Amino acid sequence: MVYRRHCSCTNPYSSATCDCHATPRFHSICMVSDFFYPNVGGVESHIYQLSQCLIERGHKVIIVTHAYGDRKGIRYLTNGLKVYYLPLKVMYNQSTATTLLHSLPLLRFIFVRERVSVIHSHSSFSAMAHDALFHAKTMGLHTVFTDHSLFGFADVSSVLTNKLLTVSLCDTNHIICVSYTSKENTVLRAALNPEIVSVIPNAIDPTDFTPDPKIRDRSRITVVVVSRLVYRKGIDLLGGIIPEMCQRYPNLHFIIGGEGPKRIILEEVRERYQLHDRVRLLGALEHQQVRNVLVQGDIFLNTSLTEAFCMAIVEGASCGLQVVSTRVGGIPEVLPENFIILCKPSVKSLCSGLEQAINRLLAGELLSPETIHRTVSTFYTWRDVAERTEKVCVYNRVAQEVVLPMDQRLERLVRHCGVVTGCIFALFAIVSFLLLNFLRWMTPDSSIDIAVNATGPNGAWLRQYSTERKHELTRKRDPDACKEPSDLSAEH
Amino acid sequence: MGTKEFLDAHGEKITLHQEAHSVSCREFSVVCPKLSVRSVTSCTCAVWLAAYAIFAYTQNTLVLSAAIICTICGLLLYLHFMKIDQESLLLIGSLGIQLTTSFASGKESTVFIEMCRVKDVVINEAFFMQKVVYYLCILLKDPTDPKEISEIVPVFQSSKPRMDCLTDVYRSCQEILSVKSHNVATMD
Amino acid sequence: MSPVLQSPVLQSPGADHYSSLSWGAGNPPSGSVGSPPIWKKVLYEHQPFPDNYVDDRFLEELRKNIYVRRYHYWAVVFEAGVVIQQLCSVCVFSVIWWYMDQDLLSPQKLCGVGLALTLLGYLLFDAVDQGEGRRDSGRTHWADLKSALVFVAFTYGFSPVLKTLTESISTDTIYAMSVLMLLGHLVFFDYGANAAVVSSTLSINMAIFASVCLASRLPRSLHAFAMVTFAIQIFALWPSLQRKLRANTPWTYISVTFFFAIFAMAGLLSISSVGALLFFLLLLSVAFLCPYCLIRLQLFKDNIHGPWDEAEIKEDLSRFLD
Repeated sequence: MVYRRHCSCTNPYSSATCDCHATPRFHSICMVSDFFYPNVGGVESHIYQLSQCLIERGHKVIIVTHAYGDRKGIRYLTNGLKVYYLPLKVMYNQSTATTLLHSLPLLRFIFVRERVSVIHSHSSFSAMAHDALFHAKTMGLHTVFTDHSLFGFADVSSVLTNKLLTVSLCDTNHIICVSYTSKENTVLRAALNPEIVSVIPNAIDPTDFTPDPKIRDRSRITVVVVSRLVYRKGIDLLGGIIPEMCQRYPNLHFIIGGEGPKRIILEEVRERYQLHDRVRLLGALEHQQVRNVLVQGDIFLNTSLTEAFCMAIVEGASCGLQVVSTRVGGIPEVLPENFIILCKPSVKSLCSGLEQAINRLLAGELLSPETIHRTVSTFYTWRDVAERTEKVCVYNRVAQEVVLPMDQRLERLVRHCGVVTGCIFALFAIVSFLLLNFLRWMTPDSSIDIAVNATGPNGAWLRQYSTERKHELTRKRDPDACKEPSDLSAEH
Repeated sequence: MGTKEFLDAHGEKITLHQEAHSVSCREFSVVCPKLSVRSVTSCTCAVWLAAYAIFAYTQNTLVLSAAIICTICGLLLYLHFMKIDQESLLLIGSLGIQLTTSFASGKESTVFIEMCRVKDVVINEAFFMQKVVYYLCILLKDPTDPKEISEIVPVFQSSKPRMDCLTDVYRSCQEILSVKSHNVATMD
Repeated sequence: MSPVLQSPVLQSPGADHYSSLSWGAGNPPSGSVGSPPIWKKVLYEHQPFPDNYVDDRFLEELRKNIYVRRYHYWAVVFEAGVVIQQLCSVCVFSVIWWYMDQDLLSPQKLCGVGLALTLLGYLLFDAVDQGEGRRDSGRTHWADLKSALVFVAFTYGFSPVLKTLTESISTDTIYAMSVLMLLGHLVFFDYGANAAVVSSTLSINMAIFASVCLASRLPRSLHAFAMVTFAIQIFALWPSLQRKLRANTPWTYISVTFFFAIFAMAGLLSISSVGALLFFLLLLSVAFLCPYCLIRLQLFKDNIHGPWDEAEIKEDLSRFLD
């Protein structure tokens, strides 16, 4: 059997690239999350950018997500990033339904044919991510999980989800959080040893967010808000701030980008106070439009009520805006004090924060946009994130670790997650183990074709670009490289 | 050119016959394993035993006759419409591609694609049931815009050969197609 | 070149050894610089610590049980009085129905006593708070009298209909439905808790429905009329008087509750002694055991708060839209 459970520190597939006792230099990483393009958001761009940087560093990366409408099957993105859009049913909020078992056959097939060595799941809201972690542990693969969100402890729903997270993370090799607050939160939620939790922040592409002070209108003060218009982003607060501030400053204007159920509140406020010429609601923004909206403003306002790592304020600061934000979650860790004015999550405090920013702006005390951009652009880059994820801690470390064999895993589940939950999930683990063995008997690993590596060492994509693609010789010598990297998704 | 044995996606043995009729004309045929007598017998026996059990319970002879008719009709329909014995791909560089499917009953269905409509022959991958399989397919040009692909015609759909077999076929196809495109280029 | 590589920390020759460092908690790497660096809870600086470094300040902003209310035993027992009252109301109602069903109680007598008690309660209702509530609501006695007359007239007029309303339904179904409805009444009753299940309209409707069901099984239509009127008195009027008593004269309320409970138990005792004993135990546990459990369980409360909690909007933001 080519592909079997292994508890040693060596990687079973990439033995060619493995230099004996040390960990393999290149990993074969599978990112799993329900959230990926064409969906847009923080998790999606995190996965995409991280994957691109890891490919650049020579690793093989594939992404597994669920089908988005017409987009199903197997696709290739920039630089040969292979994405599997699995035909699974979407349950709620783009998250798939989970039975902990039904996705095993497909995921196992993909893990085997791609010779995956590390499973990297993203977002605790994604059922598929947890499923993949569960199956990977059954198959004896190394697992990494990135948590992107904060969660409370107070109500019944959070008690239940935290229990599930405990189960899911109790035998995961390593966990990444995006801020220290998020780490504290995750450690408490899942009752983890803090040493297996690393903090690696999110990043932005600073070249996408460059300032352009010429576009600003000097005759007025413009406050920009770019966020989804939902309760958690504090849009109710924004509905209170707008009339207050517009009464105090006659030349104050608001530009609001984003869409969501709370848009109605902003529209009502605009109607009620006759602010049609001063409050512009732009609706949903494309990623490339965000920068052009941001540079029109002087001040960036963020009213979030909870936030693990606020990418929006980094984007705002990178465009040279003074940031005013609520002091919640990981936000105080993100920017140094001279770039951000932190307020309590109340209308009064946010208004005084905005006033402070406006006074500084009028007095000319604000840092110049270029200075802010230059400083902020050194803080967070995807290359740094990828490097830390790969080298400094996670993948290299995880590859040396031992994946718990079945008996220890069951013991760990029962000991760590409480008797009742532990026993239930231990039962699930046993069923999934039996199912896996049944699948191995039905379709032995040897009868599964090994997929052509698009990325990673000897990746077809890179070789393809080094030679002329349409050249006849290439085709003769290297037929597999000529696979169509297009949107073919035949399912029959 | 010769006969080689390969495995299909389910792990069964299939044979690939390659025949070079001329420099620019080749035929590939994939022969699936024959319907084994044992599986037919066991299927029929299972149905009859079930029918007999129902008969013993209900004392209704209609069940038995229905079971016999069902098995016979089922076998006929299966042989005629489902069981595919051989799939072949005939590639003539100057003319086009002909796909032939022969059923176990002897029925044949043929599709012919003119060369001017063929854009390329590639290996692609797709989800099939709980599997991810490689398959060979012919890309057809969009008549309005020759750069675009209008349709994909999968080849060897029922036999589902594995990658090594597909690669062989793919290489040979590309040899002919590249000669053809080379000729077109020189003619231009 | 990425900005990371320009940062002095990672460029220093000692930078490499951070990756090979032992991953122990709480030991900051030393030796690369003169004084040991101090960890800061910031993300924008590249700090000379491994990514999974755990500082002593880890979880220092964790707070536990900050919103916990401290309960006093007797205060909780006093609050439990509302539940006792409602249990007793249901019990008294059932006992009265049983008496009516057995023809041990004439409808005239029930109506008479009910009317007298209602008048007494009506006078008390105004006397307890010196007519303050009436002045606030601006409702006149004439309006009360009118609505009472209309109600009585309608119930009297419709009581023959009530009597025959459920004839086609089997008696067992009626009993089961009544029990279910009375339980529902107890569940949804407004005991003063701020919860989603509380709905006083639903609660009172369920009680009236139960009374209509039970009334339809009584011998004559006058019985049905007396029963429904009594249900209104005990399920609608009596709780509002109680509420007022509780707010203004707590001691009277306690004694009223006590005597009402005694009365309910005595009534039940005249029907079934086992039932009375069980009811007594139920009241005892609701009044004394449950408050004790509540206070004991408070000790196990382990509510975690910290900077990750979703901020609450404490202001009233609707003023901006009015």
